Amino acid sequence: MHSSSEPFRRDLAPPPLLPTWNKRRPAEVVTQRVADLPDMVALPVRAVTPALPAPIWAPDPAFGPTDVEAIRVRTRDVVRAMDWSKIGRDTRVNLLANPHGFFLCGDAYVAMLEEIAAHVRVVTGARVRLRIAESMGHVENPDWMRIFDLPGRFGDAAECPQIGKGTRVATRFGDFWVTHNLFSGDYFIHTHVTEMREGYLHRMLDRLYKPFGMGYTRLETRSAYHIGFGPRTGQLVARAVFGSDFIQQRYTGTVVLDTTSEGVIGVHGDNDLAALDRRLAAGILRHYGTLIRLFAAIDECVTVFDGHGCGIYTYGGGIAFDNLLCADVDFLDLDNLALLSAMAAQGERKHDGLLMGSNPAIKAIVINYMAGGVPEQFVWDQYPTLVVGEPVYRWLITDPSNTYLAERATVLPDLPAALEQACAIAGTDKVIAFDRTPGAFRVSESMGRHLLEQAPAVAADVEHNRLPKWLAQRHLV
Amino acid sequence: MPKVVRMVAEVVSEECTGCNLCVLVCPTVALGLRARRPDEPGPGRKVAVLDASACYNAQNCLEICPDDAIVMRDLDPPFTVGFDQTTVDTQAVERLCAATGLPPALGVCVCTRTTVAEIAAAILAGADTPEKVALATGARTGCTELCLQPILLLLAAAGHGEKPANPPGGFQWYGVCGTLYQHAQLDGSFPDDLVKDFPAYPLDRELLDLMRLRRS
Repeated sequence: MHSSSEPFRRDLAPPPLLPTWNKRRPAEVVTQRVADLPDMVALPVRAVTPALPAPIWAPDPAFGPTDVEAIRVRTRDVVRAMDWSKIGRDTRVNLLANPHGFFLCGDAYVAMLEEIAAHVRVVTGARVRLRIAESMGHVENPDWMRIFDLPGRFGDAAECPQIGKGTRVATRFGDFWVTHNLFSGDYFIHTHVTEMREGYLHRMLDRLYKPFGMGYTRLETRSAYHIGFGPRTGQLVARAVFGSDFIQQRYTGTVVLDTTSEGVIGVHGDNDLAALDRRLAAGILRHYGTLIRLFAAIDECVTVFDGHGCGIYTYGGGIAFDNLLCADVDFLDLDNLALLSAMAAQGERKHDGLLMGSNPAIKAIVINYMAGGVPEQFVWDQYPTLVVGEPVYRWLITDPSNTYLAERATVLPDLPAALEQACAIAGTDKVIAFDRTPGAFRVSESMGRHLLEQAPAVAADVEHNRLPKWLAQRHLV
Repeated sequence: MPKVVRMVAEVVSEECTGCNLCVLVCPTVALGLRARRPDEPGPGRKVAVLDASACYNAQNCLEICPDDAIVMRDLDPPFTVGFDQTTVDTQAVERLCAATGLPPALGVCVCTRTTVAEIAAAILAGADTPEKVALATGARTGCTELCLQPILLLLAAAGHGEKPANPPGGFQWYGVCGTLYQHAQLDGSFPDDLVKDFPAYPLDRELLDLMRLRRS
């Protein structure tokens, strides 16, 4: 029994499972969500990080207004203050979007895109087309084009996968290839959300540039980001591509949704990407840094995947599982050579502090539902993995990137049985689920109490020790 | 590590316009075009055709097709692809790996757990294009992304860097991208202009730490 003073909530439901691009209907297969289990509660992130700014838009009314009008008003203010004079009448402007924006910010992201497109059309007379930069796992993820009726709302809207035709871009670090259809217009507008996915890769260095090294690029550029650069220097690919003549000739400006775990706290834009990145970086480190370090304070747990997203990119409490996977290393500290273990030679994982992606606090994983598309054998290698039900298991092992899971996974008939077995294997009843619930962690009560107990010390450590160092390393003070 | 292929693509000829996009993205060149027969309903004069034995369930065709003309079917029974590196001279494999600076044990295709050494061995055994490497090892048939740069580097180091795209105009791969290492000077430092322009990036330390990592 928990005391009445504990802030646990039982009235917060995860978002429903949506139809996927490859025509699967997980809601018809997944009969029970983690949130349905009696021992699971929702721990609002505000209970562990009370200093978060209030959202102007939230995906759940429990955390803020769900009306997108505030997003529209802020976006109009932002784009009116920007200089669009580079764009000539009757030219073609590609408004670049990414699936993470739709995934995390949904209607707010679409509203921001609509306001940008409307303003630029009016002030320039240009033709604005929506171009969505796709990535690994595209076919396994919700079909945002249909879900948000993007063709109907934008007229000319297209998804641009990283396997498509490329364009060579000469940079000071060498040649790279970007996705041709993203940059096929005369100009483009860059959009982003500030959430902390893949922090172990970008290391909060030039955060807002990252799509120029990953999302907007072709396969070989993404491979080079991982293989051709070090664990603290992959973002040089993004900087190099952005700084190229090809991109600079076409670049007009950037508009972003500034997010926290609860929703959107602001809309920001600038023609100067560097200036915008510097304005937002400290806030991102402050708002997400405490939660990331709170994950480091988890001493033992069973993790449950129960939502859209590909394993390491499933979300809970507004942040991705990769933050827990890598939480044994402070990857925001640039003194730390933290190389993702997936890319390491066999045997290198023994060097503590060098390699992340192998958090020993994770004792077992339960997959109630997750999308495929992202290779995760380094996860299956490390943790006992239990899958709920044959249909989900079949989806997972037929994913081109994860056939290897078949050698590692145990299939259980239902979620309670899987969770019971996982807890027995793990020797703990501390459970944390990534079910895409915004603003709150889906946890067992024991995990909830553990996080509440750890939170004050973690917050103090971040505020007084880590954050000043993170900021200094990035020349942000 | 072999890949177990559990699905195979199928062309829905009634939907196929013959646009050729699937042909241009298949990492194992399992797809081509043929003329549509007069009695065959469908929107284009040509239609995609699949060599099922070369389909390793990469699903690039599914993703790129604008007309829902590709579906994936379960394969019964599945089959396994992989390359046995012990069939190739170990020292030659090590020399090829060394020529790229990539550690032999480094896992380059995370989807199939294929290492640098396995790729190098397949190249030495005759896989002289990215397509043949994919067919021999299964690498490049999962996410098709993470492994591309090291495979291109190994092919270039083996003297196969100038192979034309297959099919012509295909965008399965383009070329080797820039790296951090190519800018390192003999003493391990980096040119002053790079250090000056990217002050938050620990360039010198990064190289030393990576060398330390690779020696471990």
